Amino acid sequence: MSDLRRLPLVPLALVVVVFGAVPWVLTLFGKGYFFQVADLILIFVLLSASLHLVTGVAGLLHLGHAAFYGIGAYVAALMGTELKLGFLWGLPAGGLAAAVLALIVALPTMRLVSIYFAVATLAIGQMIHTVLLNWVAVTKGPNGVMLFSGIRLFDIPVKGPLAVYFVVAVVVALSIVAIHRLGHSYYGNALRSLREDDQCADAMGVDTVRLKIEVFTLSAFFAGLAGGLWAYTTGYVSPQDFNFSNSILILAMVVVGGLGSLPGAIVGAVLLILLPEVLRGFGDLRNVIVGLVMFGSILFLPKGLIGEVSALALVRRHFVRPKGEVAGREVGW
Amino acid sequence: MSALIEISNLTRRFGGLVAVDGVSTSVAPGELVGLIGPNGAGKTTLFNLISGFTRPTSGTVRFKGEPIDRLKPHAIAARGLARTFQNLRIFPNMSVFDNVSVGAVGAIGQSALQAVFGRGARRDEITARTFAALDRVGLTDRAGELAANLSYGKRKYLEIARALAMKPDLLILDEPAAGLDDSETAELARFIRELNREGLAIMLVEHDMNLVMSITTRVVVLSSGRKIADDAPAVVRADPAVLEAYLGVEA
Repeated sequence: MSDLRRLPLVPLALVVVVFGAVPWVLTLFGKGYFFQVADLILIFVLLSASLHLVTGVAGLLHLGHAAFYGIGAYVAALMGTELKLGFLWGLPAGGLAAAVLALIVALPTMRLVSIYFAVATLAIGQMIHTVLLNWVAVTKGPNGVMLFSGIRLFDIPVKGPLAVYFVVAVVVALSIVAIHRLGHSYYGNALRSLREDDQCADAMGVDTVRLKIEVFTLSAFFAGLAGGLWAYTTGYVSPQDFNFSNSILILAMVVVGGLGSLPGAIVGAVLLILLPEVLRGFGDLRNVIVGLVMFGSILFLPKGLIGEVSALALVRRHFVRPKGEVAGREVGW
Repeated sequence: MSALIEISNLTRRFGGLVAVDGVSTSVAPGELVGLIGPNGAGKTTLFNLISGFTRPTSGTVRFKGEPIDRLKPHAIAARGLARTFQNLRIFPNMSVFDNVSVGAVGAIGQSALQAVFGRGARRDEITARTFAALDRVGLTDRAGELAANLSYGKRKYLEIARALAMKPDLLILDEPAAGLDDSETAELARFIRELNREGLAIMLVEHDMNLVMSITTRVVVLSSGRKIADDAPAVVRADPAVLEAYLGVEA
């Protein structure tokens, strides 16, 4: 096999686009607004990718993802305003806080049968949103928290939309690499077996309850990171950004992109953030069009744009360092 | 020789029904034991009790000398007991290779951190074990295909390969020949006997009497949850109680 085929072409192309083409083009336009949209897309790529682990790979319907995103955002923002601890503290703390909360939530609920688990995540999402909205003493309630300090990396202020974009892009890219490895590994295969038939996985020595708790917690960690990025890029967090409709939006990204496929989750996020922006000329009609796109994609592409099954060949060829090749097909992680 | 698995006085009630009623038997290392009985005799319940999917009402199961009747299925599997299911249960949206790898991961384990940062000894061991199991059932050349695309017969072997990837000490097969035609059944029988000759202890639930009688070294017969016979195939075949249970004839 030639060395050329071993080159990770798709990841390489993504790096060129995210760190080269996009910032270059945006700088040409020179508008802060475009950078904000680009940051937003990256943040939702991370949210969608993290939910993809739980819902697409492990097959758990999770209806409260935005709440963990919110925890990350509030923890990062409040650490900045109340404790004067900056980005490098607030970002990981936001991720960890979301993960700890997810762990506490997952311990009692993970034994529930799937549909009841989905209802539990819905309830937890609503509870967290309600707390953010009403615990005025800490969260400032509906007014939200203003975070003026901006991103500083070791006392060096990150100034201007381009620099901020690069910080967001680095955090998201590293997270995506981690999520990709979690999904495309034997660990990921064990997660997939939960989705396919968890009783059967149990009989093969897979500790299904533990694995579900783990993946739920890991996913919340990445959602928390996304929250920290949101707090620092917008400088303002308020409860409405983390309500049920945001959970559904993230879920829609995963489903439209294709359940079980990380590229699908990324494409889904880009599409569902970009589409409303592109359609701004249509006024309020744009939301209807976005709805129609979602509806149509589920109707005509039940496996999403790049569902697990059709994505298999693509994932194999481009996303996996092959461990062996059999009859022209590469196998192993 | 101490028994590999020892079942003592195992009972399971579902409401008023006693599905398994005071059954005691054992399997020694290297044995190939058949478990037969009419429909509703409690064969699958007995398998579920052994593998941890059902908790016994009373009685004990010891595997390699240790009690396992209070353990969860994955903990029992990790101790070296693999099972297949009555109705084929593969992971349809995963490749053949990935299906089998789950058995190896279940036995060897890979943590989330190892998945993200891991370099390899474990990963290579899982890969090697998966390939070995695929080789054993002759599915290596289809490793990259989606499991759902395999024929019914091949899926049976996939399920067995997944169990073999766990490197079990005891393999329990729940009606492996169901849905296979005569020549496929004969081939499967040869394969099961081969596995057993290589030293793997096997317990086999099967409706196909010819299959059971031709390959097993001992046959346990259940009827209405009770054990009515436990002996060499030839002896069991002539046992009046067994004939009565199966044919309803007064012996």
